[in-house]
Amino acid sequence: MTRPRLIPCLLLKHGVIVRSQLFKVHQVIGNPMSTVERFSHWNVDELVLLDISEDDVHDLRRDDLQQSYEGTSALDVLRAVAKVSYMPLSFGGRIRTLDDIAARLGAGADKVIVNTQALADPGFVTAAAERFGAQCIVVSLDARRRPDDTHEVFADHGRHATDWLAAEWAKEVERLGAGEILVTSIDRDGSAMGYDIDLVRSVTSAVSIPVIASGGVGRWEHLAPGVLEGGASSVAAANIFHFSELSYPLAKQACIDAGVPMRPVQLGSPWFPREPPYDRAAEDARIHARLARARDRLPLPARPQVVRWCTRCVYPGISAAPMEFDDDGVCMGCRMAEVKAAIPRSEWEHRLDLLKEVLERYRSRDRSTYDCVIPVSGGKDSWFQTHIIKNELGMNPLLVTYNGNNWTPVGWRNMLRMKEVFEVDHVLVSPSVDVLKKLNRLAFVVMGDMNWHAHVGITTGPVRVAVQHRVPLVIWGEHGYLDLCGQFSMDDFPEMSYRDRLEHFARGYEWTYFVGREGLRREQLNPWKYPSDQELFDLDVRGIYLGNYVWWEANDHTQLVVEKYGFEVNDEPFDRTYRRMSNLDDMHENGVHDYLKYVKFGYGRATDHACKDIRADLLIRDQAIDLVRRYDPVKPRDLARWLEYVGMDEAEFDRIADTFRDPRVWRREDAAWVRDEIA
Amino acid sequence: MIAVVDLGVSNVASVVRAFERVGGTVTVTTSGTDVDRAGAIVLPGVGAFRDGMQRLRDLGLVDAIRRAALEQAKPVAGICLGMQLLADVSEEHGRHEGLGLLPGTVERLVPDRPEYRVPNIGWCDLEVRRPSPVVPSDLDGRAAYFVHSFHLRCADPHDAVATIDYSGAPVVAAVERDNLLGVQFHPEKSQDVGLAVLDALLVTFTARATAA
Repeated sequence: MTRPRLIPCLLLKHGVIVRSQLFKVHQVIGNPMSTVERFSHWNVDELVLLDISEDDVHDLRRDDLQQSYEGTSALDVLRAVAKVSYMPLSFGGRIRTLDDIAARLGAGADKVIVNTQALADPGFVTAAAERFGAQCIVVSLDARRRPDDTHEVFADHGRHATDWLAAEWAKEVERLGAGEILVTSIDRDGSAMGYDIDLVRSVTSAVSIPVIASGGVGRWEHLAPGVLEGGASSVAAANIFHFSELSYPLAKQACIDAGVPMRPVQLGSPWFPREPPYDRAAEDARIHARLARARDRLPLPARPQVVRWCTRCVYPGISAAPMEFDDDGVCMGCRMAEVKAAIPRSEWEHRLDLLKEVLERYRSRDRSTYDCVIPVSGGKDSWFQTHIIKNELGMNPLLVTYNGNNWTPVGWRNMLRMKEVFEVDHVLVSPSVDVLKKLNRLAFVVMGDMNWHAHVGITTGPVRVAVQHRVPLVIWGEHGYLDLCGQFSMDDFPEMSYRDRLEHFARGYEWTYFVGREGLRREQLNPWKYPSDQELFDLDVRGIYLGNYVWWEANDHTQLVVEKYGFEVNDEPFDRTYRRMSNLDDMHENGVHDYLKYVKFGYGRATDHACKDIRADLLIRDQAIDLVRRYDPVKPRDLARWLEYVGMDEAEFDRIADTFRDPRVWRREDAAWVRDEIA
Repeated sequence: MIAVVDLGVSNVASVVRAFERVGGTVTVTTSGTDVDRAGAIVLPGVGAFRDGMQRLRDLGLVDAIRRAALEQAKPVAGICLGMQLLADVSEEHGRHEGLGLLPGTVERLVPDRPEYRVPNIGWCDLEVRRPSPVVPSDLDGRAAYFVHSFHLRCADPHDAVATIDYSGAPVVAAVERDNLLGVQFHPEKSQDVGLAVLDALLVTFTARATAA
């Protein structure tokens, strides 16, 4: 028996993976490599990469990630992907000539996917199949449902009608020599409504070559009907694989449970350790080269200055967060804020019901353990989360805090008081201070961010504790990137994942990177070791974001927790932002860490906060511009504490920090760093 | 030296990377001298049988490979088309002579059930027929990735060390005959299972090189 395949589709636009809706709206998920590596850990049946770039623009957004690739084109991405994937690889997009096909096969694709060119020149399919073999020519068929319920084929990313009926074009494609057909419903793209089964069936019954169904999967249960009802040989989906932990294994299990005879779930590949073995010699050389550049004050490579800003808020295009702009120059963060603001009360009530369903499913039935874990920093959002989960919804949570040893006095008091105020148990994960100092120093030199330990510690500790206590449900606050840069849509309900943790919080650096550096040993890095995929799968661990289920406005939370529970507000302003209520758990998060973001990308926390406040109608753009011009460049006072903490002098700090400046943002003029500023 | 013959149309790079992933070092070559000197020869391949044979003839490798297999008794391992090329003859687009090392013919897949498609693209469970150095017995029941419209029918059924079920009939998935080894599937694309196969091949190559 030939087992039906479950195929993740990655949409590649200008070098990054995007989420797509109706073939039009694109939100940046991130760097392709971290996702592809996860697919290798999970023994994925096959991978489809679709390059949907309109032109040759290539923009990785940030250059400081460990998991990245060499080069500046979609072909370079393909080459890099092929290096880490031992699965069948199909590549589509912008294929116009036989040479285009040869180049893609040469770069590591096993099959190519052609669409528009097949419609423009049907002889192309035949020529391609003759030269490269039918088995490697996949024709992609995008179709839209007509009022009479027939399906019409569209060309050019769904833009141009062709008059072809889907079934007729499929027959023609088979006759021309294609080896496989990928059929996508344009109406269902990103809709989360499931496949258009009529479309799939019309194609599978018209041909004898294999057919892959695609377009519309929003729940795992949507996949199986593609095979069982649509008659497809394989089922594909794109967006949904980005939304949660172990997405592929869970999707696979759902298909198998529904009766589709796929390959079983397989985790923990002996050939692909999830925690990567870094090339020690190459990494040593890279660090050494950076320190030499710092010592010799070598200039940045000259590159065009290409910063643009959202026309509505003040977010820049070159940023730590994955940002995308629409045709009006408005960022996806603003767009998602509009969507969120337009969600009616009835929908929030519905979402609360969804949350209650999740809570009921995971509540400890025999009361042998806690009902859920809430990761808390002790700040306003932590108090709000605990208020909702414990006092409003009656759960028995275990609070977990990562103690990075950088507290503000007010933040420390607020955190310690939670166990009294809410009458809950509270676990503190407090790493050795000696190890913390080493990680601060190392991470600063390696990735230009001393707070790696905090970002990874915060996203790891609570999950470790959850697994140790056999508590599958972890309830985080808001999804930072959904809110800040509209990375996901409100209907995606994104959940915490290892990929998110490694790419966005750890910048591609696992704890294994630090073993052997400054004498650090494996056993000293336990606070940063994430539970294994098998442990997560067996316990069915989920990390949901409360912000997807309840209205989330940080300014309102402060007021609520002050009035109801006596939360202590911060009376001391931060140097680098006008907001006083954020990040009290870590004096450096709004300080040195944020200053380094400014050094890299030319903006900082004041920009983040001002964008949120513009979207909340608390600021107008002109006021925001004044604020970010005032606050973003400030060198913060906590730098002195940090330098003393790790034993470094300020001149050395500046020299090393300067090596991380993004040359697309910064240039040197008259012995000073300058950049284009928002106006 | 393990020589991986570059047939031009095949994606040699992925085979090389897969061998490297399991700790092997291989040399990609189109040279008869390399084939003569190598301790083991790998013949990967995708595409049409006729083109593959033509390529071997153009490179002057037919005799070198036959010599390596028959006179030098070195391990010669074929992957997908590479395995089919070891056979006597293929019926793909006409009738074409193969390397004539492995008794058998290459025939078109003819399914009689609608859920079976041609090409056969996808994951099929391996049924291990007898222990061999190609498909370790613990891979029995595990799936490997296939892409093919033609299959090898062995003249000596004993040569077929693993099969798959295709449309109710067994189809050869792996062969062993003396020093000739071969797989119809793509180990370089079969994730953990494929890498285990390549790992086993490496062990065999090393063992036979040491024995020789």
